[in-house]
Amino acid sequence: MLEYSEPVAKLIDEFKRLPGVGHKSAQRLAFYILRRPEAEVENFIEALREVKEKIVFCDVCNNLTDVNPCMYCASPTRDRSMICVVEEPYNLVAIEKTRSYKGLYHILHGSLSPIRGVGPDELMLANLIPRLMPQNNEGIDVQEIIVATNPTTEGEATANYIARLLKPLGVRVTRIAMGMPVGADLEFVDEVTMDKAMTNRHDI
Amino acid sequence: MLLESLDAQNFRNLEGKLYCGKNLNIIFGENGQGKTNWLEAIYLLATTKSFKTVRLQEAIRFGEELAIVRGSIQQSAEIRRNMQVALQGNTKTLAINNKKETIHRYLGELHTIVFNSDELEIVRGGAEARRKFLDGGIVSIYPPFVQTLADYNRVIRQKNSLLQSAQENGFSVEKTAELLEPWNEQLIALAARIYKARIRYVERLQEVLEKKLFGKEEVSIRYVSTLEGKGDLSDYAALLEERLKLRVQAELASGHSLIGTHRDDLDILFDGHDLRKYGSSGQQRSALLIIQLATLSVYHLQNHEYPLFLLDDIDAELDYRRIGQLLEFLSGKTQTFITTSKESFVERFGAGAEIFTIENGAVKTL
Repeated sequence: MLEYSEPVAKLIDEFKRLPGVGHKSAQRLAFYILRRPEAEVENFIEALREVKEKIVFCDVCNNLTDVNPCMYCASPTRDRSMICVVEEPYNLVAIEKTRSYKGLYHILHGSLSPIRGVGPDELMLANLIPRLMPQNNEGIDVQEIIVATNPTTEGEATANYIARLLKPLGVRVTRIAMGMPVGADLEFVDEVTMDKAMTNRHDI
Repeated sequence: MLLESLDAQNFRNLEGKLYCGKNLNIIFGENGQGKTNWLEAIYLLATTKSFKTVRLQEAIRFGEELAIVRGSIQQSAEIRRNMQVALQGNTKTLAINNKKETIHRYLGELHTIVFNSDELEIVRGGAEARRKFLDGGIVSIYPPFVQTLADYNRVIRQKNSLLQSAQENGFSVEKTAELLEPWNEQLIALAARIYKARIRYVERLQEVLEKKLFGKEEVSIRYVSTLEGKGDLSDYAALLEERLKLRVQAELASGHSLIGTHRDDLDILFDGHDLRKYGSSGQQRSALLIIQLATLSVYHLQNHEYPLFLLDDIDAELDYRRIGQLLEFLSGKTQTFITTSKESFVERFGAGAEIFTIENGAVKTL
């Protein structure tokens, strides 16, 4: 027997599909929706519909975008000789906030994880290699691929896989550095990060 | 570090307060009175865990909501700290000097080494207990090693999962080898770090091992890599890489990671014999003690202080001659807590010790 009438149970089930939402949160969300005025709920539905209708993967870099190719790939001012590979679109946003990286991006939408059934074929990697050819890159040779996957075992495996894939093609492949967060006091850094930073120290 | 006093509220059946001695503390009482519960409370104060249960709420007295264990620690001549662990349902709150602390900051204030029947797994159980023993010792003197171990275990899990799906999907050896490469590369780097750390730690243990503490039988230890006899171990990473390449087919067939530091072991020999197969129960206890004493000494060399040594029911299978030798070794070094139900034990070793008589969990003052 259902705990709630069918439409409510159905809504709770749908909320439970969302990442990080368990049964209790799903109930709370469902009852919140039930209490809102109809117009507000319509706006919510419209927002969901619009995002699915208008947002597509960029054909070039796999970014989520409402124009294809996306604003980075289409920009005339970006440095087309560099491509930074990231796991998720929000990783791109994090790098953009630096305002110092002017190159292009490539988004994998995940990282290698056999436990979760993600192998190389599940990553959006197939369209990366063609980008290295000048004829696909407005005549510009790609000089460097910066691999900015997460510093987890999954991110490292992904970086490693990409390096193996691209190095035979003669392009320079680099990995972002790991260590101390800037602006933080040494005392607040955990010992693992500190250990990495000590290992990767450099001359000044 | 020194545990000066300890008291508890609603923690199991404990009542009263222990004013601990600097050297030997004997917790005396009949069986079932709660002697071990006092050791458990010390262990909880140090590690925020129990050696009896993983479900800490079991330790809250029946019918009560909140259990508290409190201790006063002398860290140096000038510095005293009050440590507190509070248990309420599933949650545990830690405090130092009445201020809430994260587990990260809390741990490291008080270190303990426990001798009890569970720890005997090290000398008579499977290899996993011995790897855990070595890794725990390494972490106590080099905390970042925790991450190396966690990463290694994660890589092994990922690799096992990959091998299983390769098996189910009928992948060729070549295809499997290719898919394994990114994981094996990390496995090699991490395993080499673990191997090096464990070899070095075993060397340090050997340097301080009181081989003949208990008389003529000699205890020796040796780290055993699964790669032994397969090539040059001095370049572990290169050898492991070579072995991993050769064994892809076997790993694919078994669906598991077959080589790496997760298969290594520590040989513990008693007069040259394998202790697990040939050792008597008393010999196993003696050997475990000798190894734990070495752990204490290595810890001391690194940190210039000794952890607390908690010994549960030591007299069950160890004769008084050996206990005498043990206590003599510990004297002036560790702050030691021993439980016993034998009056003769107290008579024999009680001189100079602090003695607590436990009845129904309560400390009976004499």
